[in-house]
Amino acid sequence: MKQLQGRLKANCSGQLLIVAALAIALLISSTTAYVYELSEETRASGMEQMGDLVFALKQGTRNTMISSLANASNGGEKTLLATNLDKLSEVMRSIHSFGSCNLLFRTFNDSLYDQGIRLSWNTTNMGVSSASANFTLNVDNAAAEIVVNYDINVTTSLTVNGSYIDEGTEKLANLTCRVYNEDQSVLAENIGVFYGNSGNWVQVDPSSLSTVDFGNGTYSLSFAVPSDTVQASIHVIDSRGVLVQAIYDLS
Amino acid sequence: MKNANIGQIRIIEAFLAVLIIFSAFTVSANLPASRATMKREHLVSTGLHALMKLDEDGSLSRCIINQNFTALRESLSLVLPASVCFNLTVYDEQMRQVNTDVISNGGFSSQDIAFAEYVCASRNTAFRCYVIHLFLAVTA
Repeated sequence: MKQLQGRLKANCSGQLLIVAALAIALLISSTTAYVYELSEETRASGMEQMGDLVFALKQGTRNTMISSLANASNGGEKTLLATNLDKLSEVMRSIHSFGSCNLLFRTFNDSLYDQGIRLSWNTTNMGVSSASANFTLNVDNAAAEIVVNYDINVTTSLTVNGSYIDEGTEKLANLTCRVYNEDQSVLAENIGVFYGNSGNWVQVDPSSLSTVDFGNGTYSLSFAVPSDTVQASIHVIDSRGVLVQAIYDLS
Repeated sequence: MKNANIGQIRIIEAFLAVLIIFSAFTVSANLPASRATMKREHLVSTGLHALMKLDEDGSLSRCIINQNFTALRESLSLVLPASVCFNLTVYDEQMRQVNTDVISNGGFSSQDIAFAEYVCASRNTAFRCYVIHLFLAVTA
């Protein structure tokens, strides 16, 4: 009887060892799988965070473009775009919470853009103020490295259409102006009308200028100018502070 | 011989028991840390999104330039979830502190504080660049 009990104990111990080994294996594998899953989520979350940072830095470059265009369109130097972007790039290099950030840029230069700035104001019925540049943003930390290449174009445009009646002593003009930011209709902050010939411009007295705001970026302007007036120039400042001008022929 | 085997098996069993307990300890020590990291990263993301939202129309830089830090605090309180407390500091390009007032919606009761850094470029004709340090925590 005792022999039988001893044999049984010995057998049970062997089974216990196998069951315990299985339990441990199960525990280790499930724990590993769980921890791996968590680390994957953390890694994904880290990437998402870097994505947020890239969006935030892109917002900064966009604001810099708007500031530079507002300055250039109001009489500032076109070189200011590069100067401001250099300054932004330097500040970006000084932030380290997500790793190192490096911003490289190239302002557009072609027949329309000079040092990234385009001010096409002398065309009839349409005016464009625009800034354009290409960026390469590099965000590098221990987890990952992101290189993003993107273009930013900031454009305020103005279209002018309408008609005028020559009444002998003066001309009565009725013009419709539309203001756009990157092809989206926007409200104007300020509208001024000038008239003249041979490049001498006189502002239409604001009290004699009738403006109807349709609330969707469309404005109706009515004003009277001397009969020898050849052209009217419409000046619009949008909500971003960017000035754009367009010519309308009155001859 | 049999007694000696039984003794060995008991030692192995004891060893396995220790191993199981040790594994349980290891797992329980690691999991909350991972969750805390997740929560912190989510807070950073929330903070960055809030600042981007305010910066979209240039109101963030406008508040800083006009030294209207009360408006900035109120705007941030509106954009961030109610359960999140924050403390914001604004630095200029030379990393000198700009805000004289404390821009915060209360004290931090949590030890789990997240940190977000944001570069704010102004939109107006006189270009300015600021570095914003935003500390965030979930209120208990």
